Amino acid sequence: MRTLTLATCCTAVALLLACGKADVKAPEIPFAPHGSSYAEKPDFAQLEYQHPLSVEDLYKITPKNLSKLDQELVDQIYARLSAGPIPDGPYEGDLFFPHGESGKLRLSEIAGGGLKGLLVNVAGKKLDLIGEILWKGKVFFRNERVLRNRIEDLSILKKAGLIKEEPDNPLNKIEVDGDDQWLLFPAKLYCGQSLLDSRRESIIIDYAFTDEIPGYHEMPDKMAGRDGFAVRDEIRMIRPGLYLGRAYIDRAFVVNFVLYNEEHDKAGKAAFMKTGAVQEDCWSGTQQRRTIVAKAG
Amino acid sequence: MKRVLTVTLAMTFAVATAMAVTATTADAPGATPTRSEVSEATRPSQAHAQDVPYFEACAREGLNESECAGRLIWFKATAGNERFHTYVFQQRVGVLIDWFRVLRADERGDRFKAWGAINDPGCCTPGSPNCPAKSLDETYGLDWCPGDEELLKYVGQSGYRDPACDFRDAPLKPEEIHGPVDQRQSACDLKFGTSSGALGIRKFPNPRFDRAAWEKLNGRLGSWEGYNRRIASSTGSGEADRSHLQDGAIEPPFLIGTACGSCHIAFDPLNPPADPAHPKWENIKGLVGNQYTRISEIMVSGMPSNTLEWQMFAHARPGTSDTSAIPTDQINNPGTINALINTAQRPTFDGEQVIKWRKTRSCEGTSDETQCWCEPGRDNKCWKRGLATETVHHILKGGEDSIGDLEAIQRVYFNIGSCSEQCWMNHLSDLRQLDPAQRGFGQTPFNIGQCRRDCPNFRAIEDRLSNIFDFFLSAEGHATDLRAAREKQLRSITTTVNYSEQDLITDLEHEFGAGAVNRGRELFAQTCARCHSSQPDAAGNPNADFMTVSATSGLREDWMGNDKPTPASEVGTFRCRALHSNHMSGHIWAEYGSETLRAQPPDPNIREPGDGGRGHYRNISLLNVWAHAPFMHNNAIGPELCGNPANKANDFYGQRPRYVDGSNIRLLPRDQQPACFQYDPSVSGRFELFKRSMDALLNPAKRIPKVTLLNEDVTMRIGPKLWDGTDREKLLGFQLTIPHEIDGRGVTAGTLGNFQHKEFVVDLVRAKTEPKALAPDLEKRFGAETGKKVLADLKAIVGEVTKPNGLVDALKARPYLVKQVYSACTAEIENEGHRFGEDLSDADKKALTAFLATL
Repeated sequence: MRTLTLATCCTAVALLLACGKADVKAPEIPFAPHGSSYAEKPDFAQLEYQHPLSVEDLYKITPKNLSKLDQELVDQIYARLSAGPIPDGPYEGDLFFPHGESGKLRLSEIAGGGLKGLLVNVAGKKLDLIGEILWKGKVFFRNERVLRNRIEDLSILKKAGLIKEEPDNPLNKIEVDGDDQWLLFPAKLYCGQSLLDSRRESIIIDYAFTDEIPGYHEMPDKMAGRDGFAVRDEIRMIRPGLYLGRAYIDRAFVVNFVLYNEEHDKAGKAAFMKTGAVQEDCWSGTQQRRTIVAKAG
Repeated sequence: MKRVLTVTLAMTFAVATAMAVTATTADAPGATPTRSEVSEATRPSQAHAQDVPYFEACAREGLNESECAGRLIWFKATAGNERFHTYVFQQRVGVLIDWFRVLRADERGDRFKAWGAINDPGCCTPGSPNCPAKSLDETYGLDWCPGDEELLKYVGQSGYRDPACDFRDAPLKPEEIHGPVDQRQSACDLKFGTSSGALGIRKFPNPRFDRAAWEKLNGRLGSWEGYNRRIASSTGSGEADRSHLQDGAIEPPFLIGTACGSCHIAFDPLNPPADPAHPKWENIKGLVGNQYTRISEIMVSGMPSNTLEWQMFAHARPGTSDTSAIPTDQINNPGTINALINTAQRPTFDGEQVIKWRKTRSCEGTSDETQCWCEPGRDNKCWKRGLATETVHHILKGGEDSIGDLEAIQRVYFNIGSCSEQCWMNHLSDLRQLDPAQRGFGQTPFNIGQCRRDCPNFRAIEDRLSNIFDFFLSAEGHATDLRAAREKQLRSITTTVNYSEQDLITDLEHEFGAGAVNRGRELFAQTCARCHSSQPDAAGNPNADFMTVSATSGLREDWMGNDKPTPASEVGTFRCRALHSNHMSGHIWAEYGSETLRAQPPDPNIREPGDGGRGHYRNISLLNVWAHAPFMHNNAIGPELCGNPANKANDFYGQRPRYVDGSNIRLLPRDQQPACFQYDPSVSGRFELFKRSMDALLNPAKRIPKVTLLNEDVTMRIGPKLWDGTDREKLLGFQLTIPHEIDGRGVTAGTLGNFQHKEFVVDLVRAKTEPKALAPDLEKRFGAETGKKVLADLKAIVGEVTKPNGLVDALKARPYLVKQVYSACTAEIENEGHRFGEDLSDADKKALTAFLATL
């Protein structure tokens, strides 16, 4: 069994640290007006041109206050972000439900999109279980272009019969704050198309060919792969250390999530406040991204 | 062997100036330049070796600088769509192109027969005599083409300087509003790359390519075996095979782009190649339209045949393309690639109401950038948007592109993928978005002003649209009459021989009967000229002259079509194309349709909606009809064309015959299927195809019905699949399988593409959540009786969908929902209609055929 020791700076506590007073209400940043139908949503190119986000705006966003926004406003934030650098190291994560939605972890229902109410209980439990695992803690192996998910408690999966121990291929384990965490659900990392906003690439976390990644375990990893739920996530950087993500199952959007690394947040703040610029690993498009640098650097 | 030459060659432009070209070249087949005297005054340019045959063609055709510049752009400029064809289409749209399958050098000799793609005469198969590349590993399995001596160095590296950067612009025109200083966008943004080996398909080095990863996946550099190998789904259940083509983590060696020429470059009817697989440059023309291209199959070449995408795209006949397949309007409607000939004589329409951007020098007085915008960093390079009365052409099958010639050309670049990420992907309908509240549920309008601002490739093309249009008007776009074709044939034997109009008539009358041509002219005037003549007084005029030459253009005065809209029901041909909706208000190409177009009343005699100006076909030109059979907008009247490639995996006609039993729409047995007509671009081959197509046209009773059928069951997933990982890997998703037969009757491929699944799903949800509100809505849309029946069935289905295969079974029991109620077009027979002339005597039919051969 391979054991990795990671920096312990990023724990669930860290995600909470990223939050504070600003979490009580939605971030006060500019948005374009919108209606309820698809045809009444602002075009992203015009949105960004007319309502650019400043660096100060980006620092008003916390993992928690995003959930005070409705989905359209979350989308308007995502579209005004760029991919930034492909992350490296451990990140805390959590999925969140936008304002106005149930907040219950029932992906089996959410996954239906417009089919809400028609699909409940269809393969639901397994999907809900996946939801509890996949969009939590992650470890990025930037140089290998691989991501693995950190699972704190294997017992849930074991109870559901989803862990198949293989003596010749033991589960990968790391130690976080003295506790064991298991690395499951490996995914490929690359720059690719956003399924929401085509104007620039996102960082893609793709489970389709999970079976080709070293350390793959058929069960449970296959559940996220191409013959399973076909999970594909995309993320863009809000600011150093904080990423906003969108999760898709079989190309249908299911849930938002955030990824946070406190150390990266702190380390990158001063420079980002000054310039509003970071290393862009992915194609950043040809529309000029208008990020207004904060007055007080 | 690579070598560098400095070459000068004569360029006898029509303006009689000679200019010098300094070329860097290699001794590739077909690219041997010549040396001649040049004028010092016009010696400025550096031309890539790959451009040399293009300049020679300009000289051969007598093109001036603007026309020649336009030609080069038409043949080579991708305007940045290499990202579309490598990343966007695959990842965002979810459709896989197997470029290696299409472009592999070891099947170069089979490429035309399989894909209808025209081989670039300048390219060669690595390892063949005189080819600079000696092994497939050097070129990653594709052809070696001029310019690759530089390009191949940058596979896996950044820093490639696109050959378009050396494009030599034609001088600005004196009337250029944004002049006199040249403020055109950098030519680099035209993005030429080098040829892929097939004309119009271009390649670019992929800086992200990882050589080691590629070798690991494929075994060697020259193979794509691991990349495109089919991987069976482990779930069974009829799931489609996968491949690494869908794996965005694998970067191929090249990004592949397409120029307009990918569909429009064709063999010259006047000078066809001796061997279509190995044409010479002089056999190539840019405006005829490739009658053999299987561009639709190319676009889905990486998809298994039991996928929705394959069945939706790969049903177009050779020479046709569904230009609304990517910006989908969910109406299956492949149409021919028009011959862009004698454009100077093409009818225009006065007094049309057009909202568009027009060049201006200042936006003084307005701060609204959505109405007036000046390009930053330029002087007085501004555009202003507004409504004005204009004289315009009607372009596309229904005349949908109707705000101006230049804008119609501009829109072609979006059809081929340019500026997709910056400007239009976000406006498309996402087939998997079922929530009307979310983006992607339906189309939203492309915004020309935004695209101009945000996409440099848009500006690079826009600043040179007049050159492309000049190319349309050039000698290369002149009609290619049968007389001239036969004369050229004869001159290949005896150089001094003449073949006059009278010689042609004599030969035609020998074949079709004495006096046939003149009798045919009379018949044409009586029965055809009301649509197929641009002379206002030709219809019914027994003395109408269709041969008069314009003193202004030197072309036949009559364009042989009036371009006016005719209701689809009047023509009676397959109507799905007439229902095309992308130019309607609120739809993707709304800004390219005029207000006049959209105000056109619907055809009252068709059952599908005809709002927004839909429901009509433009009366096309019959110029050179001898060379452009088979007929109709879908190439369906006349023999079916086939290439019979050696690689039977690419024998698309063989896999999908079209002739059916009209009583049950089921395929006729193999032994009753009429033989297909093998691609034959020779003069005699075109003429034979014309005659057989005329026979089918004038004898509708003899036509065996043609329908493109589903050739296997196809599963369409509505919403994501939901998989229970422990239940023996069984799929329990919300999906719809459309069987290839229902109740013993064949199901058309169009059934799938035309199924308005979003409307169905929304109604299904409403049947559960608000049935009372839905009831009057359904009755309004479908009529009282049908509306009630639909509601009752939807309510019943709601109770059935949560069972495994519930929806499949529910719809199987109610096929009318898919085939009729929720179908955008219910037409089935593709070669019906246009029965004009069926009552003529056999002699008159021959006479009409003889006359048409003279056009």
